[in-house]
Order: sequence, then C-alpha cells, then structure tokens
Amino acid sequence: MKKNIKWPLPKKITRSNLEEQVRQQKDELLVRSGQLKQGAVREKLGAVREKKGAVREKLGAVREKKGAVREKVAEEQIHIRTKAMESTFVGIFIIDAKTPNFPIIYANQYFYNLTGYTKKNVIGRNYFLLHRPDTNSQDYEEIKQILAQGKSFHGEMLNSRKDGEKFWSLLHITPVRDKNGITTHYVGNKTDTTLMKQRDLEIAQQREELLHVTRVGKLAEFVSSLAHEISQPLTAILAYAQAAQRILEGKNPQLQEILQFIINDDQRAAEVIRRLRVLLKKTKPTFEPLDINILIKNTVTLMMPYITARNKIITLELKNNLPSIQGDQIQLQQVLLNLISNSLEAMEESKDSHEMMIRTSCTDNSTILVQVIDSGCGIPSENMKNIFTHFFTNKPDGLGMGLSISRSIVEAHGGHLDAKNNLELGATFYFTIPINIKKDQ
Amino acid sequence: MSKSIIYIVDDDASVCRALGVLLKAHGYNVETFTRAKEFLSFKHPKLPSCLISDIRLPNINGFALQEIMAQRGIITPIIFITGYGDIPMSVQAMRKGAIDFISKPFTDKKLLNAITLALSRSKVTNKKQAEIAKIKKCMNTLSPRELEVFHFVVQGMLNKQIATKRGTSLQTIKIHRSRVMQKMEAKTVTELIHFAQKVGCNTSSN
Repeated sequence: MKKNIKWPLPKKITRSNLEEQVRQQKDELLVRSGQLKQGAVREKLGAVREKKGAVREKLGAVREKKGAVREKVAEEQIHIRTKAMESTFVGIFIIDAKTPNFPIIYANQYFYNLTGYTKKNVIGRNYFLLHRPDTNSQDYEEIKQILAQGKSFHGEMLNSRKDGEKFWSLLHITPVRDKNGITTHYVGNKTDTTLMKQRDLEIAQQREELLHVTRVGKLAEFVSSLAHEISQPLTAILAYAQAAQRILEGKNPQLQEILQFIINDDQRAAEVIRRLRVLLKKTKPTFEPLDINILIKNTVTLMMPYITARNKIITLELKNNLPSIQGDQIQLQQVLLNLISNSLEAMEESKDSHEMMIRTSCTDNSTILVQVIDSGCGIPSENMKNIFTHFFTNKPDGLGMGLSISRSIVEAHGGHLDAKNNLELGATFYFTIPINIKKDQ
Repeated sequence: MSKSIIYIVDDDASVCRALGVLLKAHGYNVETFTRAKEFLSFKHPKLPSCLISDIRLPNINGFALQEIMAQRGIITPIIFITGYGDIPMSVQAMRKGAIDFISKPFTDKKLLNAITLALSRSKVTNKKQAEIAKIKKCMNTLSPRELEVFHFVVQGMLNKQIATKRGTSLQTIKIHRSRVMQKMEAKTVTELIHFAQKVGCNTSSN
C-alpha cells in the first residue's frame, strides 16, 4: 500500500517524529531521483480527473433537474387520478389483501354517498362487516369464496344503507397483483342501479297486469262461448220437455213428474251458466282520446324482454302527427299484445326470420291503419278463413280465443281486423280504427 | 189460434225443431227456418204473425234481418232469443221495436207470454194495414182532377177557395167533391180527413 506522504515536510522536527521524518524523506528522495517522469504523469492524470469531476457534476445537475420534472409529472397524474376517482358516480374502494381481515384502505366520496357511511366507519373496516347480515348473506359468502381464490366477482345485489334504506347495486371486485403475481389489493366498484331496477320492475308489473287482463278476457270469452254452445241444447231440451208436458196434460202423472224433473235440472244447468257469465262479465270499455303511436310504443316496451329473449328485432314505422282516436287503452293494448306475440310465435318456427315491424298510417282522413308485419311462417291458405273464429287454433297449447277477441275489440271500436300473407315471407295483421268517433256506450 | 202463424229462425236445427214442437203443442201454426234468407223468401200469408229469431245467425244476423224487414215493409213483430244475453244488444233491439229479448234457455211461459203480446200487436197492425190498403185502393179510383180536389178538401179548403184556385166554376167543384166522397166511401169530411191522415197525406192548411 502506498503511504500517505505529507509534502512539504513539517518544519518542526521533534524527537518523537524524527525517525519517521527521516524515513519519509528518504522515501521521497528515492522517488524523486528515479522517477521524475511519474510526477508529470501524475499531474496529467490529476487534470483529467478534475475534468471528469466537472462533467460528473454537470451530469448530476441535469439528473437532478430531470428527477424534479419526473416527480412533478407523477404528482400531477396522481392528483388527476385521485380527482377522477373522487368525482365519479361509482363507489370505489380498495381493500388491503395482505392484512388478514381485509380492511378497506381507501374509498371515494361516492362510496360514502351511496352507503351513507363516513370515512371513520369505513377505513380499516372489513367491507362485509359494513353490511347487515340480513341482506343477501349468501351473496357475501359467494364473494368471499371467489376472492379467496384470487378471482374477480361481478354481480347485482340488494344492500342496506347505514340508515337502513335498501338500494340495488352492481358490484365488481377485482384483485390487484404485484409483479410476482401475489394479490396485494382488491379494487371494488359499486354502481347504484336502484332506478333501473325500479323501472324494470315497473315494466314487468305492467306487463303482468296486462297479461292478466288478457288471460281473464280470454277466459271470459271462452266461458261466454261455452255458455252459448251449452245453452243451445238446454233450450231444445227444455222446449221438448215442456212440449211433452203440454201434450200429456191431465194424463199420466208419473210421466208428467219425470218431465218436470227434466225441466228442473235443465234450469239448474242454465242457472250455473248464468252465474258463471255474471262472474266473468266483461268490464265496460272506457273510451278516451288516445295516441295510437304512444300506445304502440308502450306495448312494445312491455314486450321488449320477450322480443330480445327470442333474439328478434322489432322496427317501428310510426307516422308522425296522427290524429287521436277514441278507444279503450287496455283493450287496444290487448289487441297489440296478441298480434305481437302471435308474430313472435310464427317467427319462432322458422330459424332465419328475425325481423318484424309495426307500421301506422292514415289511409284517408277518417281512418288510422295499424299493420303488424312479421317474417314468420305465414298463414296456410286453408286456415285463412278460420283464424278469427272461436276455438280455432294451430298452437298445441292455444285456446283459439286471441284473434277472435282481438277482432271483437277492434269491431267494438268501429274498426276492422284482418290478415294477409306477405308476398315474400310471413304475414301481416292489420286493423283500422276510425278517427275521433264518439261512442255513447 | 189457427188464424195466426209463428215463424222461427235459428241456425241450430235442434232448437228450431224443439221450439216448433213446443208451439205446435200449444196449437200454433209454425214455420221454421235455419237461415234468415229462407225466412225472407217465404211467402207470408196475411195472418197475424210473429217471428222468433236468434240474434247470431250466419250471413244475415237477427238485427240485419230486423232492418231488412223494416225496409221491405214486413210488419211481423219480432221476439229475439239469444244464447249470449248481452244487455246493450237487447236495448238496441227493443229500441227498434222488438217485442221481447229472451235469453236461452227459457221456459214456455215466458215465450208464450211474449207470443201473445206479439200476436195482439200483429192483429192491430194488420187491421191498420188492411184499412190503409183499402183507402189506397179507393184513392186509386179517383181521376187526376178528383185527386186534386181530394187534397184541397182534406187541407180544409172551402169549395169557393178551390174554385178560385183551380179557376173553374163552383158548380164543377161541387160535382167533383161529391164524386170524391162517393168513391172514398166517406160519409163526412171529417172521415175523409181521417183517411188521408192514415195514408200519410198532408192535411194541414197552408
């Protein structure tokens, strides 16, 4: 190892450092005598080293500047992202996956708004503890399991706010992994779907009501037709028995009595039918001014789940500014419902047909024409004249009442319902409704 | 009873036959039809009559039949029978002059009461109809000039006024007038006015 030589030598020579000083001088002389060249080299080297130092210094400054800029950009980005997370209308929360009880370490403002909890309630707490045990505990078990497997969860559920109010939400929980693939965090986002859910429920309810009315209507019509069919032979039986009674008047009391029994039982059957008829008496239609286009749109909205579930497309071609008609909203909706579901069923049988259309037009100044056009299997020509008759059906589970009821409803509105096959594919059912004809009944 | 006739129109052949049997048992003359068209083409005898018709019939239904009969001047009273029994329908039928509206099935008593009412009304209208026919027949025997005088007289015009209007002598009018009275078989002017009213002539003075 090279010795550290102090140069020039200290002037003061003491007893204690004498030996050392002499040795050093010797060394120095030794170096100087033989190796003057080395000094020049060393000098040069020093200059070079100095330059390097200056460069290094400069580089350092640049690096420092760059670092500052980078830090600033990062800071800005974090700021923007935090801002975005805070201002979104989705509840976002982050769970620490490395801590055993999975505490929430961050939640955005909307999460607090949505759940009604404050920062104090949430941070450090487990997400599931925030929710009462009575709300869908099964869901939570499922979520826990999925998360334990490191998978992500997605689902809609009913939750309670802190004040107990219920709300529907869509929940996504996704794991965040480090570079080694270990889950360090979970990010959850929660969307409020209460309004959508309510709307869906309302539509479903309306559809159910309408279907119920239709079913009751069908039943009433069915009973009414049945009553008519049965009352014919009952009339004949009664007339025959009473004729026989008349002919036997004053003779053969035993036969007279039997005839009376026939008459009594005939009337008993008639009474049963009469009561049934009263029970299912059709409610009087209420006529009010209606916009047929709005009625069609509403009915299609109700039917939309069925249409999309069958992978069909419905197009509306509604003429603008149609004059209003006088009609019973529920009854006319029944007609539309019946025609649309018939079309859907007709299209079910042929795989290639997906599209149907409802078109409104004004044929002249006094009539509105509504057409329901499908691309289904069409109507076999031998059935064409029967489709509007009671009890006629080609569906395995049909009553054969739908179209005949529809026709009688349209006729009660002063219109006409008919059908034709399209030139290419499917059939068109069309009905007319007169414009603004007042009904006194 | 033999001087009346009951028509039955019902598309159900069994109902038709049963009602026929019942009414025959009560001594009525009965003609049954399963279609309105058959009834319309039947040659009606000039007897008090009554039609028992179902509402729902193929092609021409009960109400349409009622209208066609009114157009053709067939004045037979109608009793409607129906297996449906809708009230608005019955109101409509009664408004147009039906005797009754009976829901199937019905007892003979109900039907017979309605028939009695219908036949008595038919008798009255038949009598009126016969009277009108007779008056019209008499009117047809009048010469054009006599017919003119007839119209003036029933409007309450005096002989003098008629003469002025026609531009003829009072004597000529007097002769015409007496011939009118004779041909119309009227004893007084009042009677003549009644006749005119029955056939729907204008009897108001203007």
